[in-house]
Amino acid sequence: MTDTAAVGGRQRVTRSRRSAAWGALVGVVVVAILFSLPYLVYANVTGVLVNLFILVSLATMWNLLAGYAGLISVGQQAYIGVGAYAVFVLAGDGISPFLAIPLAALISALVGLPASFLLLRLRREYFAIATWVVAEAFQLVVVRSNSLGAGAGAPLPGMVGLDPALRQAFTYWAALAVAVAALLGTYLLLRSRLGLDLTAVRDNEVGARSVGVRVVRAKRIVYLVAAAGAGAAGAVLVISQLFVQPTAVFTVQWSAYMIFVALIGGLGSIEGPIVGTVIFFLLQQTLADRGAWYLIVLGAVAVLMAMWVPRGLWGLISDRFGIRLFPVGYWLHGMNPPATGPGPKTESPQA
Amino acid sequence: MSSGPLLELASVTKRFGSIVVADSLSLILRGGDAVGIVGPNGAGKTSLFALISGDLSPNSGEVRFEGRPVTRLDPAARCRLGIARTYQVPRSFEHMTVFENVLVAAHRGAGLRGGEATDLAASVLEETHLHEEANWPASRLSLLQRKRLELARALGTGPRLLLLDEVAAGLTEPEVAGLVQVVEGIRARGIGVIWVEHVVRALVGLVDRLICLAGGRFIGDGEPLAVLATPAVKEVFLGTSYGEGNSS
Ligand SMILES: Nc1ncnc2c1ncn2[C@@H]1O[C@H](COP(=O)(O)OP(=O)(O)OP(=O)(O)O)[C@@H](O)[C@H]1O
Ligand SMILES: [Mg+2]
Repeated sequence: MTDTAAVGGRQRVTRSRRSAAWGALVGVVVVAILFSLPYLVYANVTGVLVNLFILVSLATMWNLLAGYAGLISVGQQAYIGVGAYAVFVLAGDGISPFLAIPLAALISALVGLPASFLLLRLRREYFAIATWVVAEAFQLVVVRSNSLGAGAGAPLPGMVGLDPALRQAFTYWAALAVAVAALLGTYLLLRSRLGLDLTAVRDNEVGARSVGVRVVRAKRIVYLVAAAGAGAAGAVLVISQLFVQPTAVFTVQWSAYMIFVALIGGLGSIEGPIVGTVIFFLLQQTLADRGAWYLIVLGAVAVLMAMWVPRGLWGLISDRFGIRLFPVGYWLHGMNPPATGPGPKTESPQA
Repeated sequence: MSSGPLLELASVTKRFGSIVVADSLSLILRGGDAVGIVGPNGAGKTSLFALISGDLSPNSGEVRFEGRPVTRLDPAARCRLGIARTYQVPRSFEHMTVFENVLVAAHRGAGLRGGEATDLAASVLEETHLHEEANWPASRLSLLQRKRLELARALGTGPRLLLLDEVAAGLTEPEVAGLVQVVEGIRARGIGVIWVEHVVRALVGLVDRLICLAGGRFIGDGEPLAVLATPAVKEVFLGTSYGEGNSS
């Protein structure tokens, strides 16, 4: 993965100080093991993992929005809903719900385009509130549409006649595919020129536009990618639940989960949302039968993390051990590494 | 480009409430010109740069770059046309390396990709004596290095007009001398330079034209030593060390 950008007479520039081959190998092995799980374990295990993959996808997209584009959204459930209902409508037209997932992602991005022109004019807290308003507006439209099952919801067509074991395995693979696509897509996006733009904008917006970065365009692309990702996650959600219901997909609780996961895992890194999701599921599994305690512990963890570990668990790990599974920075060879001492790390902390 | 002027300001006026920071300013600059701007604190020097770079829009008047009106373009678009500026208070991308700071400029300002962009970034770092620090996070840089990074990033956009806002402020004599040399090299490549500086000595050796700005108006414009000797300019700097060309 260490692609050399310039050789011979030029100074050698690579995409990280060390080779990224190990990270890639680990990734491939993990995905291969996860892929084969339906052959190895019971469906209740893969059922839990489907929810985990949905949350990883959502948190990865929220991290892209907040951690890279500085867009704090509490309304991504708008696109969970659009994705879910897109699958519902397409399935009604005879398209397999599984094949409808990429279409649902595309439709979510298309719906997001006009919304982005409205939202990206707004600053910070106004943007956040407006994203929620958009989500609520979408829900109102659905509740008033009898063809979409209105407020009561409707079963997802196109799923009957499928052997339950096979259906569960397909659902699992679909969820895995969406999570991998979200992570890989984020990685490739951050490695591209756009990724560097976003980091520059995050560090200093005025400085970024003064060197020619189209700030609003960069944010719009991220917003649309995040809409597509949330749409795909919503599509998987409705496939796993076999039923669409407005209150289930448009609830602001989704935003709470995404924010919680992204914060405890660590904003501004690709690995953070994965770590955050695993922690979240462990907490959920151990506290699920404790009722209100579950929410109290969740809230307490979030507050403590925000106060004491602002860069999240992954930030802690990568600072301590200098690990970076997804290197997106640049390295100019033949030049000095930074002087040693406390503070920033020996590799571009861009990821 | 054409033989027409590089930069033209036509009666540009900018007000903040009752303060007039640019009072119907007109200016013509040819390619390769090096112009110095001096003036007391609050004279409107940074605001003038902001009007040229697009960080501010004028209340009235027009800014033209290479014959083309740019008054309605945003800073990023003007940068891509060839206007680059540095900021008095450095605006580094703290969490990116020095090399990446300049690379963004090469990507977006100069419109390059791949090896062409990394080549430009590497050569600009060498020119501004920052190549040793290429892989450092910008947050590790000293003040002098940050000022150099401002300059490097502006150069990375491949400008034809470079606006320098007090890049020498706070530096020692030898550091200033080194910087003047770098700017001389830039100028020798045919890039137009406008340099705002309180360190008049740095300017006098380099520029062939000096403008004095006070209260949003040009009160002197011409050969540097002649401008510094005019009564109006002397009056503005009465009691300060300007007239003597001291470096602070
Ligand atoms: N955004 C703004 N809003 C209101 N007033 C402003 C704004 N920007 C600048 N000013 C005012 O305009 C005047 C000119 O400011 P400017 O920064 O252009 O001066 P300057 O010549 O660069 O001064 P210095 O030598 O201190 O850098 C000052 O009185 C300043 O307070
Ligand atoms: Mg100023």
